[in-house]
Amino acid sequence: MGNSILEVVNLKKHFFQSRGLFSTLRGQERIIPAVDDVSFYLKEHETLGLVGESGSGKTTVGRTIMGLTPATSGRILFAGKDITALSARDFRPLRKEMQMIFQDLDAALNPKMRIRAILKEAISVHRDINGGQVDRKIGELLEQVNLKESKLTNFPHELSGGEKRRVGIARALAVGARFLVADEPTSALDVSIQAQVVNLLKDLQTDLGLSYLFISHDLRIVELVSHKVAVMYLGKIVEMGLANRIAEEPRHPYTHILWSSLVDKESREASRTSSGEKSADWGVFDFERAYRGCRFAPRCPVYQARGRPEKCTNPSTEPHLHDIAEAHKVACHFPL
Amino acid sequence: MRGVPILEIENLRTYFYAKSKQAFIRAVDGVNLQINRGETLGLVGESGSGKSITALSIMGVVTAEPGVISGKIDFKAEGIETDLLQDLEHYVHLKDKDGRVMEVRKDCAGWQKQVERLMGNIRGKEISVIFQNPRSSLNPFIPIGKQISEAILLNSPGKNRREAKQRALYWLEQVKIDSPRLRFDSYPYGLSGGMCQRAMVAMALASEPSLLIADEPTTGLDATIQSKIVDLLQELKSAFNVTTMLISHDIEVIKRLSDSAAVMYGGTLMEYGPAGDILRVERESKHPYTAALLASIPSEKHIKEKAYLQAIEGDVLDTINTPEGCRFYARCNRITEGIRGKCQHHEPDLREISPGHCVKCWLYFD
Repeated sequence: MGNSILEVVNLKKHFFQSRGLFSTLRGQERIIPAVDDVSFYLKEHETLGLVGESGSGKTTVGRTIMGLTPATSGRILFAGKDITALSARDFRPLRKEMQMIFQDLDAALNPKMRIRAILKEAISVHRDINGGQVDRKIGELLEQVNLKESKLTNFPHELSGGEKRRVGIARALAVGARFLVADEPTSALDVSIQAQVVNLLKDLQTDLGLSYLFISHDLRIVELVSHKVAVMYLGKIVEMGLANRIAEEPRHPYTHILWSSLVDKESREASRTSSGEKSADWGVFDFERAYRGCRFAPRCPVYQARGRPEKCTNPSTEPHLHDIAEAHKVACHFPL
Repeated sequence: MRGVPILEIENLRTYFYAKSKQAFIRAVDGVNLQINRGETLGLVGESGSGKSITALSIMGVVTAEPGVISGKIDFKAEGIETDLLQDLEHYVHLKDKDGRVMEVRKDCAGWQKQVERLMGNIRGKEISVIFQNPRSSLNPFIPIGKQISEAILLNSPGKNRREAKQRALYWLEQVKIDSPRLRFDSYPYGLSGGMCQRAMVAMALASEPSLLIADEPTTGLDATIQSKIVDLLQELKSAFNVTTMLISHDIEVIKRLSDSAAVMYGGTLMEYGPAGDILRVERESKHPYTAALLASIPSEKHIKEKAYLQAIEGDVLDTINTPEGCRFYARCNRITEGIRGKCQHHEPDLREISPGHCVKCWLYFD
């Protein structure tokens, strides 16, 4: 096991929503805790999967780590160095080592630039490099991501989803990054292309020793690519541990429901009636609803089954992430 | 495939003219399909295979200048029996030179009028659609309840406003939106993605259509919401027995909801038959494309062993320069030496290999 490449300690990111002058003057500004006290670490050459429903704060964690939005509080250590409050100029050299693969393929690539120009810009922005070397580097990148050379003269809109994704990955590799934040890299792709991209990411990890923070709501893919998985709910990590362990024996009720909601699960057919009942009171995910104590309590089947224990809704006893088995943490008073 | 057909598609071709390349993009290229009353037909395939364009052609919304449709779509419901593409070809004139299309002249206004004449009392009433992105297909300025009752008023002229509202509330209840009376006055932005999709389903069903087309109804929703929408569609299917054409690239969804399935690639059907037969992994006799698609879904075994996934190499077919042989030739991994020549130069037809199960592949016939 290698050293940790990334460490996140008590990271908080709150967004402020102002609702007009009057409310602001009266101090009624609304705070949205998108990321609320999140801690984790990622070892070199490993993949940490971050799962959760949309709105749970997964992407915000990724963006905050990349310095795209400033953190409200907490610390982010990259290769042992605190990067939380670096100025844009001091952050720049670090960008060579950490890159992000964005979710929205069309927004991430400049529609007016040809693929060659996109890659060239990424290669030359961080170092002084002459024309011949750039071409060699582009050739190298194309080989790494398995993209045809004829595509270099195309514009992004002429490429298929899988090809655009490859360009996105090539651009991240162009600067020589060793840590990638992959934000939903396989969403919106067909299964056949998704398989290509997943294989590519795995290959790159073996060949170049990359570390990934893999953000996705596709549980099967996360389980497949990750060594460790962290499950987020309303801005908090509710469970964290080895990928196989989390999938097979989830201890937090939320993780359990997430995994059992997979559309296909063969066992589902057998237990149709029982699972149908369970999902009936599985309420709506709501950021704005006020909660006290455990955030998951309003939707939690265990909370209902145990007769709504006061401990779950008491603000002073909000459950914290604690060890429950070796390398397995859960934030729940009544783990399964 | 026994039963009373409600929609019969014969040799449907929907082409778009690309001016810069002076050629047609053959989005849908010779599709034959049949949907029986009470049946759910699942349409699977990668993006770009022509699934959605097939649906749009049925709805008569391929109206833009470069779009040209030919073929026959017979729609038969109570008291109605028409060809939805009747006489549309008269509005298009092609000019070609040595096999290249040089110019397409289309009388758009006339085409549009004819489409409206054909679809006027069918679209939205006899055939309704659930689109992929619920939020963009709902009007952001009108509360959802009002949108649903508007649809009801439009399609059943006898009803007054109060009756329409009652009906809308009934449908909101049927799609399991909690506290429908409260949500009746909500605007789409105030609802979650899953709820918007439910409202869309309610609106589509409110006119009690003979045929429902669901275009990627679960795409872009969270896993938990996805499985609930699938549950809902399944319940509605058994409760109201709606004939449905379900389009999805998610094979699991198709597997759970469909009676029969059609696999599309490069604008045509590669395989067509009972869903259970086609989409079961263990079943051997199937088209190589279907087999490859199924194999690329991460299975339990893949996940546990963190193995590499089986990808289909290459990209989706470019439908401008369709090859003369089999469309899947370039990506196929089951070509044997014996049939290679045929695969490369002759396109197989969709032939029945067992009752009700058709495959378009040289492997299965000589």
